[in-house]
Amino acid sequence: MGKRIGASTRDLIITNLVAIVAGLVLSGFLLLFLDINPIQVYSSAIKTLFTDRYMAAEVFLKATPFIFTALAFAFTYKANLFNIGAQGQFYLGSVAAVSVSLLLDGKIPTAILLVVVFAATLLAGGLMGAGIGFLKARYNANEFLTSMMSTYVALAFMNYLLRTVLKETKGEYPQTDALSEAAWIPRIVPGTRLHLGFVIAVITAILIWVFLYKTPLGFRIRAIGSNARAGELAGINSRRIFVIAFLISGALAGAAGFTEVNGVQRMLIQDFNPDLGSAGIGIAILANANPIGIIFASILFGAISVIGTMMGRMPGINVPPSIVSIIQGSVMLFVIAAYYVRAMIGIRRDKKRLKREEA
Amino acid sequence: MNVAVGILARALTMSTPLLYGSLSEVVAERSGMMVTAIEGIFLIGAWGGFVGTYLWGSALYGILLAMGLGMVIAAIYAFVTVTMRQHQVVTGTALNILVAGLCTYFQRVLFGIPTSPLKIDRLPQLPVPLLSEIPVLGEVFFNQNILTYIMYAIIPIIYFVLYRTSAGLAIRSTGENPVASDVAGINVNFVRYATVLFSGLMGGVAGAFYSIGFLGMFTAGIIGGRGWIAFAICFLGNWHPFGAVVGTLVFGLAESISIYMQSLGSAGFLPNEFFIALPYILTIVLTVSRRSFKVPAKLGIPYVKEGG
Repeated sequence: MGKRIGASTRDLIITNLVAIVAGLVLSGFLLLFLDINPIQVYSSAIKTLFTDRYMAAEVFLKATPFIFTALAFAFTYKANLFNIGAQGQFYLGSVAAVSVSLLLDGKIPTAILLVVVFAATLLAGGLMGAGIGFLKARYNANEFLTSMMSTYVALAFMNYLLRTVLKETKGEYPQTDALSEAAWIPRIVPGTRLHLGFVIAVITAILIWVFLYKTPLGFRIRAIGSNARAGELAGINSRRIFVIAFLISGALAGAAGFTEVNGVQRMLIQDFNPDLGSAGIGIAILANANPIGIIFASILFGAISVIGTMMGRMPGINVPPSIVSIIQGSVMLFVIAAYYVRAMIGIRRDKKRLKREEA
Repeated sequence: MNVAVGILARALTMSTPLLYGSLSEVVAERSGMMVTAIEGIFLIGAWGGFVGTYLWGSALYGILLAMGLGMVIAAIYAFVTVTMRQHQVVTGTALNILVAGLCTYFQRVLFGIPTSPLKIDRLPQLPVPLLSEIPVLGEVFFNQNILTYIMYAIIPIIYFVLYRTSAGLAIRSTGENPVASDVAGINVNFVRYATVLFSGLMGGVAGAFYSIGFLGMFTAGIIGGRGWIAFAICFLGNWHPFGAVVGTLVFGLAESISIYMQSLGSAGFLPNEFFIALPYILTIVLTVSRRSFKVPAKLGIPYVKEGG
């Protein structure tokens, strides 16, 4: 038995690595269309990643919000629910972060302010999530559709605020005033932009793992996910689970607003981080919705986006930023295919074993 | 009066791509396949429509390219979800991200960074002789572009095929009871490939409508969730072609009102953003208020042949 688990973990790692490389190679071929030597840009980007402290820190900086949105998707996924609206919950979290920060900064100590802002983002994202869960529980409204659509509503809402009450004092662009230093999340590596948010994200992922696998409520959520009817027969109120799962999921996505607004942008800008939600889904799938795996998968996606940014900035070489989506999308597709390959390998192995046992 | 007629005519125009999308989604979902790559298919259709028209100078080539590219994405989607039996929502998300990257990337490969947006001629409005002169109705129904007229024909054809032919029966039974279909000699996976490819073709046209029929250009945000709205309409219309027709008309009207209110600028009594969000709010409201859904029994579930 132990050997079997060992073999499947090895399969998981090997197939996923192959999938990631395949995604990078396929995207590399596309660079040829722009007369760019993919080997040259990849190797120089990766070399920078390992030698330049600033760029290395950027990877973890980018990974931070990914961890939150991926956890958001994974959490509902465990309950066999689909929260496709992490992007919208992130936007509401961002709005909450910037509003509370602008309202309170300078008035209370930074540490307390940051705790209040963090709580506000959890609340904003969580309430939006809970709303979707409530519609599902009360009216049996398809959560896939409602969460998907809620993102567009949240986006419009955010744009409205940016155009009106939250608009900068100068009144020029649809963006807020910059936050004062008192509202910044402290940086943890000198000379880089990496801030405490990354540590918070990692701790959150661990807590979510503990919650899902070591607590009764977490067990109930997974039970509803694996077999709703059996769970209900066992006395689990699935409607309550819908609301709770979506509440937590939304709160997790909202938290990304805290790290991005107070940790990175230090203001709210129109159209920022438009792909956090969908990247979160990809990361959650790559990690098989395992919270600990999500940490590593997020770092990988962080690296992809930093590599993409670096390639765009290399002197004389103009790699368009859209290459990042191409790499992300193709890596995701190959990772999905890897699930199939692993299943095939598993079946073949079982067949062999059966043959051996028969013989 | 003129304003009202204008809004209604525009409503029908805006319904057109949604109907291409949602009707094909109905066909696919009745066979058990949610085409969650629809947003990406719309997008690549919009891009293909633009590129074909821009490079080869005719909207016909644009639409053909849009169809072809839509089918390529659909084929990848079908391969991963049908042959590899992977999760449909997840696969669609991956493809949507990929397509968004590909369109922007190849726009750059083909056209570099132009100083002003590249424009193409939009599909002309073709008033139907005599019919277009009927007051109100003529203006609304018979002064549209060619894709809307084709849509009039597609509605009854899809209804007929789905409910009155053996192919339609095969599609519907595949979504309800693939085991029974298989026993009856229907190749379940073949049917599902076919319906998904059909969705790719129709979704490509729908996307092309936005670039060729409406905007006259391509932008990365040109679809902006319209694919998902077509997807939602399929649900809201209870997986029935006529339900989809009613749904698209409602959404077309919402979008038309939204465009009209935005054109008024600050004269509107509610902020523009409310009208931008209107179709999405409407989807949520309708999803919540819809009570009885006739979901195809095996929707989203891959078919595994026993012993296979």
